[in-house]
Amino acid sequence: MPQLSINGQSYFTDSPPDSPLLWVIREDLRLTGTKFGCGGGYCGSCTVHINGLPVRSCQVKLGDVDSNAVITTIEGLDPSDAHPVQRAWIEHEVPQCGYCQSGQIMQAAALLAVNPNPTTEQIVQHMNGNLCRCATYSRMVTAIHRAAQLAKEA
Amino acid sequence: MGDMKTPQQGMTRRDFLVRSTVVAGSGFLSIGLPGLASKDAAAAGTAAFTPSIWFTMTPDGKTTMHIVKAEMGQHIGTGLAQVIADELEVKWADVRLDTPLESVANFAVYGLAYTVNSGSITTEFDRISRAGAAGRMALIEAGAKVLGVDAGGCYAKDSRVVQKSTGKSVTYGEILQKVTIDKKFAYPADFKGIALKSRDQYSLIGKSVASLDVPAKTNGKAKYGIDVFLPNMVYGALVIPRTRYSSKVVSIDDSEAKKIPGFIKAVKIEEAMGKCTGWVVAVADKYPTAMKAAKALKVKYDAGPYAALDTPTLLAQYKDLSKNEKESAAWVLEGDVDKGFAEAEKTLEMEYTTDMICHATMEPLNCTVQMANGEWHVHIGTQSTSFARMTLTGYLATVLKKKPEDLKIFVHQYLVGGGFGGKQDYDDILAAAWCVKEVGRPVKLIHTRESNFATSFARTPTYHKLKAGIRDGKLMAMNQDIVCGWMGARFGVGKKYGSDWLQLDSVDGKNQDIDQWSIGGSDHWYEVKNHRVRAWNHETTTWAVQASALRTVSNSYNIFVVESFMDEVAHAAGRDPLEFRLSMLNGKGGNRGIPNTGYPPGTPSDYYMDRLWISLPWASENSWPNYESATVGGALRLANCLRVAAGKAGWGTRRLPPNTGLGIAVTAAEERQSPTWVAGIAEVTVDPATGSYSINRLTIAMDPGIVVNPKNVDAQIRGSALWGASQIMSERLTLKNGGFEQSNYHQYQPIRLAQVPEIDVTIIASDHHPSGVGEPASTIVAPAVANAIYNAVGARVRHMPIAPEAVLEAMKKAKA
Ligand code: FES
Ligand code: FES
Repeated sequence: MPQLSINGQSYFTDSPPDSPLLWVIREDLRLTGTKFGCGGGYCGSCTVHINGLPVRSCQVKLGDVDSNAVITTIEGLDPSDAHPVQRAWIEHEVPQCGYCQSGQIMQAAALLAVNPNPTTEQIVQHMNGNLCRCATYSRMVTAIHRAAQLAKEA
Repeated sequence: MGDMKTPQQGMTRRDFLVRSTVVAGSGFLSIGLPGLASKDAAAAGTAAFTPSIWFTMTPDGKTTMHIVKAEMGQHIGTGLAQVIADELEVKWADVRLDTPLESVANFAVYGLAYTVNSGSITTEFDRISRAGAAGRMALIEAGAKVLGVDAGGCYAKDSRVVQKSTGKSVTYGEILQKVTIDKKFAYPADFKGIALKSRDQYSLIGKSVASLDVPAKTNGKAKYGIDVFLPNMVYGALVIPRTRYSSKVVSIDDSEAKKIPGFIKAVKIEEAMGKCTGWVVAVADKYPTAMKAAKALKVKYDAGPYAALDTPTLLAQYKDLSKNEKESAAWVLEGDVDKGFAEAEKTLEMEYTTDMICHATMEPLNCTVQMANGEWHVHIGTQSTSFARMTLTGYLATVLKKKPEDLKIFVHQYLVGGGFGGKQDYDDILAAAWCVKEVGRPVKLIHTRESNFATSFARTPTYHKLKAGIRDGKLMAMNQDIVCGWMGARFGVGKKYGSDWLQLDSVDGKNQDIDQWSIGGSDHWYEVKNHRVRAWNHETTTWAVQASALRTVSNSYNIFVVESFMDEVAHAAGRDPLEFRLSMLNGKGGNRGIPNTGYPPGTPSDYYMDRLWISLPWASENSWPNYESATVGGALRLANCLRVAAGKAGWGTRRLPPNTGLGIAVTAAEERQSPTWVAGIAEVTVDPATGSYSINRLTIAMDPGIVVNPKNVDAQIRGSALWGASQIMSERLTLKNGGFEQSNYHQYQPIRLAQVPEIDVTIIASDHHPSGVGEPASTIVAPAVANAIYNAVGARVRHMPIAPEAVLEAMKKAKA
C-alpha cells in the first residue's frame, strides 16, 4: 500500500497508482483544502508543495510520488495557520469565494521561499498559472508584497 | 432557478415578535414573525420561540445572525450582519453567523433561500434594519426595568443599555438572564414607532469590518459542497453527452468499464421535467475510478433535434427572424420612432452580435445526496437551497411516482466556490439522487471540468440591429432590435409556459410575453424622445444551449451594444462622446427616477426581486412598508458618476501614448427598477501590426447608495470589472454539432493575472437606499474597451468578444 508523507504525517492509501495525487489527498486523506479546478494543469487550484516546490497535484500520479517526498498542503503550511502569506491574505482580505485560494497561497509561499523580495513582475510571472474566477488578482499582488515584509519582521 | 411556476402567496404576517424565553436557566432572545412558533418547541414543553428569522441572542450576549443568502464571494453574511448589528447595538465581536437547513418547515419560516441579482442587501436592508431596531427597543425597555429606571432616559450601545443621566448600565446578557421579553410590533401601527437610526448614527454600516468568512478561506478549513463526506459514500462522474441538450441514450456498453477495479455501475439517469437529457453516470468506489469508467463506457445516442446545430447557424436564423417585424414584442416604445427617422438629417444603421459565454466557476458543479430513514439529504453549495429542494421534489415525485408531500427532502448549504448565476440549476442533484436510488448508497457526483463545460448553462448568442436618427447633432430617434434565446422558458416563466408570474408584458398592446432577463439593459437612461426596442425569442437556442442567467444577465450584452452604438452616434453627430452622453443623461421624463423618498404602494423597487420577496409564505404584495426606491435621483446620479470617472481618467485633458485611446461606458444595471449607477473609462493600447490590444487602466465610479462595507464593495467592483475585461478579451463559448466546443481552461480562457490592468475605483457613497454591487461594473468594461480601441486606431468592432483579427480587419475597413 503506497505510503505518503504529508504535512509531517504518514498516510497510507489503497488508491491505484495511476490515481492523481490530488484525489488521494482530497478524498482518501480528506485534506480537502487542496481543490480540484480543472484536472488539466491549467488552473493551479490543486497546488501543493513537493520537496518545497509548487506542484499541480492533479498532474502527479500517486505511483510516481517518491515515498521520501515531503508533501505539504495548505493544512500543513504553518502549524498555526499564520504563515506570512496567510496573514497577509487575511489582512488584505484577498479571498472572495475562496475556492482557488489554497492553490494561490501555496504558489505564493513557494515564491517567497526562494525569492524573499520579489518584484511585481516576478510575482505576476510566478502566479500567472493560477486562475481566479472571482479575479482577486490585484489584492494577491499587494498581499504577496506584504507577506514578504511580514516574513522579514518575524 | 428552479421551477418558478408556483409561488406561494396569500398570508400577510408582517408583525414582529421579540421574545425571550428562559430554558433551563438561560434566556434566549429571538425575533421573528407571529404564527410560526414551532410545534417541536411546544412539544418539548418549552416556550422557546424557535423560528427566529433574523437572529438569536443568548445570555452570554453572543448573537447568531441567521443568513439564508449563499456565501459565494460577496461576504454577504458579514454585510447583512453588519446591518442588523448596527441597529441592534450589539458588539461586533459577539456576532456569529449560521445558515438554516432548507426544508419544508424552514421554508415556512425563512422564506425563499435564493441569492441572485446582486439583490441581497437591496432587498433585505429595510427589513433587517427594522428587525435589529425592534430588538434594540425591546432590550432598552427590559434593561430599564432591570435598572429600575425610565426607559425613555436610556439608550443602547455595545451590547449594553445605559441610563443617560447616570451612566448606569446593564449588559444585554444580564438582561436576558433577569427578565422575560415579550414584545409585539404590530404592522402597520407600531412600525412607524420603530426608530431606525439616521445615517449619521451608523457605527457599523459604512465600516470595512473584517469579513467573517475570510480566515477559513486561507487555511483549508472552509467547507464547500465538494468537501462533503458521508459514510459509505461512492462517487459519480458524468459521461459527456453527445449534445448539450436532448440527446437520448440508446445503449450502454460497459464491458470495458467492468474491467476497472472499483467500478460499480453505469447509471442511466431517468429523465423528467426535461432535465439530465442523455445523462449516464459512472459510479465507482473512488473518484479517479469513476472518471476512468466514464471514459471507458461506450454510450450510443440518438442525438436529437439539435445534433447539427452550430453558432453560425443560430446567428443566421436570428437575422432572418428579425425581418419578421410582426412577431416582435416591444420592450420600449416612446414617442414616434418612424417619424423621428423620417425627420432625421442622417441615419446610422449597424448590426452587432455577441458570442456565448459561460460561468466556468472554479468549483465545478457537484453535490452529494443521501437517502436514509425515508429522508433525502442533499449537500451542496448552491444559489438557492429552496429551488434545489423544490426541483428535487418535483423530480422524485415524477420518477418515483410519489406525492410531493410524502417526500422528505433537506438541503444542506455549504460555501459556493463561485456562483455568477451558474449555481441555480439542479440537474446534478437529480442525477445524484437517481444514482442513490440505483446503487443504494450515498453518492457524491462531481463534474470533471470537461463535463462541466459540456453541460454549461450558457449566455445566449445575440443579434442586434440598431438605427439612429440624427438631427442638429442630436439623437432624435433610436431603434434596437434584439434576437436571442430567452431564458424564461426554461423556468416555466411566461404565459406560454403556464405562468404569468415574474413576467412582463410587451408595451405594444399585443399582450405578449417579454422576458426581461433577456432584454433588460436596452432600456437605458438617456433621454431619447423617440425610442423603441423590439425583441424576438429564438426558442431553439433556449433549449439547445440551455440559455441561462450569467452575471448581469442581459445587461452583459445589451450594455456592450448600446454603449458601443452611443459612441458611434456621437462620432456621427460630430460630438464628443462624453459631452454627448452627459447631454442626454439629464434626468428628464422617465429618466428622473422616483423623485421623492418612498414610493406609492404598487411601485416595485425591483420588479422581480419584489416578486420573489412576496413569495415568502408569510408575505403578500405591498405587505411591507415602502422603502426608498433605488431609482431616486435617476439619470442625474449616472451623469455624476460619469463626470467623476471621466475627470479621474483625464478624458480630453491627458496626452496619450501612440495607438492608445480612452473609451467611455455607463450602465444602470441590473434593472430599471433596481439601478446601480456606474461609469467607466478604459485606456487601451492597440498594436496596429497585429490588432492585439491590452487594457492599461480602468477608471470606475459607482454610486450604489448606502455602502455597508466599503472594502467588500471595492472588491466586488474590481472583480466584476475584470469579469467584464475577460469577456471582451478572451471568453468565448461556441456550439458545434449541438455541443460546446470548449472543454477546459486552455480553450475557454478567463482573465489571468498578467492581463490585469490597473483599476481606479471611486465609490460615491450616498445616503440613498443601497443597491447591488456584485455585477454592474462588469457590463461597462466591454463597451469602454471597444470604444477605446476605436479612439486608439479607428477600428470599430461590433462583436463581442473582440479578437485581434477583428481589430485588424476593422482597421483595414476604416482605411478603405
Ligand atoms: S486542478 Fe490541477 S491545475 Fe487545475
Ligand atoms: S476567490 Fe473565487 S475563484 Fe478565486
